[in-house]
Amino acid sequence: MSVGQKPEVENRVRALHVVGVVCGLAAGAWLGTAEAPVKLAAGQAPPLVVTLGMVLGVFMARWTIPVMLKGAGFVVRDLRHNAHLLVWALLAGALWVVANTLTVFAIRNVGLSIAFPLWNSNCLIGLFWGWLFFNELRGAGWKGWAQVFGGSLALVIGAAILAWATAERTPVAGAHPMLGIAAALGAGVLWGTQYIPYRKAYISGMTPLSFVTVIAFGELVSTLVLSVIFAGSFSNLGQQIVAAKPFLFWLFLGGICWVFGDLFQQYAAKYIGIGRGIPLSNTNQLWGLAWGALVFGELTAIGTHARVLVLVGSLIMIVGAAFIGTAAAPASERSSWQSAMMRECTRYGLDPVRVEQARSGNDEQARQGSKRRAWELVFPICSVAVMIWLGLSLERPSVAMGLGWMVALLALTICSLFLSGLLLWKRTRFS
Amino acid sequence: MKRSIFAAIASDVHLWVPVCVLVGGICLLVVLR
Repeated sequence: MSVGQKPEVENRVRALHVVGVVCGLAAGAWLGTAEAPVKLAAGQAPPLVVTLGMVLGVFMARWTIPVMLKGAGFVVRDLRHNAHLLVWALLAGALWVVANTLTVFAIRNVGLSIAFPLWNSNCLIGLFWGWLFFNELRGAGWKGWAQVFGGSLALVIGAAILAWATAERTPVAGAHPMLGIAAALGAGVLWGTQYIPYRKAYISGMTPLSFVTVIAFGELVSTLVLSVIFAGSFSNLGQQIVAAKPFLFWLFLGGICWVFGDLFQQYAAKYIGIGRGIPLSNTNQLWGLAWGALVFGELTAIGTHARVLVLVGSLIMIVGAAFIGTAAAPASERSSWQSAMMRECTRYGLDPVRVEQARSGNDEQARQGSKRRAWELVFPICSVAVMIWLGLSLERPSVAMGLGWMVALLALTICSLFLSGLLLWKRTRFS
Repeated sequence: MKRSIFAAIASDVHLWVPVCVLVGGICLLVVLR
């Protein structure tokens, strides 16, 4: 590297760190916002039917958004280049679904205030796998460790305080606390492990937009299998879905919002790693809280002590996110990332130059794009048609909502979508 | 994909760790159900 190139490389590294941090925070906003429409349907159907409805919306969005942004040709070409990663994408989908189902049992047996902090430890699990398998934080020095590990810990503690302050703690009849704790811890381990496929894909030069199209199959098949098992038969499941039709619109909408959040989370995992990206996206708890408190008025019944705890928990989370956001990987750590990338290239016969370009957001294919075909319009047209069809049988939600706050939060969330999307496009062309 | 790629996937610890965790999660679900 010549002397003149060095500042250019450093500028690029800084630019990608900013992209990753912004994407992590946008992921938090969208994952938190996704909770709002799902709230309107929760309780109206069995938990797995709620998950299935959401996963159907997720499946639709996981195909529509990538095809609209980059074209089907680009997605297919990227999948072909990285065919060995398809098995990891399917695994990631299955891990998410099993973890999600475990949370149902966790809440049933120990309640949200205990279950949430336990499964929210997923970011620490992700950090461990990132360090062990992908050389994250190796060479980061004590300062990097203190910022990332300390920030993650602060986010877990802050989220635990929020859950403790806001969740109802009524004793559950017939509950098995040990099983509930096992389910919550299991969900945390599964969600944390789900990030192994994410990071694996991105140090191999894959694009999030194509990786998520295959994750969608893993999610859909796993949810269908679990839903049939829990419903007892296909016909029982069919009846439950028909009964839930008046609320399916909200579940699909929640699924679409969730996909925006997950896509940003994937980009954060790509550009700053899972050790930094995942804790940042866990700020979704703050957004979920804002929707619950401001729009649905869920905190009106809590006392002053709980309100103070909410404030303290939120501040701790914000400080944790700031710690991680300012912890850019130094050159020594980036060289460890590169050795992890080279290991993948050697193992799977990948072209290191192409992978390095893709990893640093300079993928030639992403910059060139692909030729759009008229049939690709089928994806957005079908998605809009499905939403209109579901909207026709939509029942007015019985939950009271603060419209002013809803508009304000929606405006903020949509702003985060456009700003982060624009930044991603300008600096990486959605590579 | 060439045969060597399948061999590389099958001997990759990055595959077996998530697979084992997934199987563990499914077993836990069976117990909870």
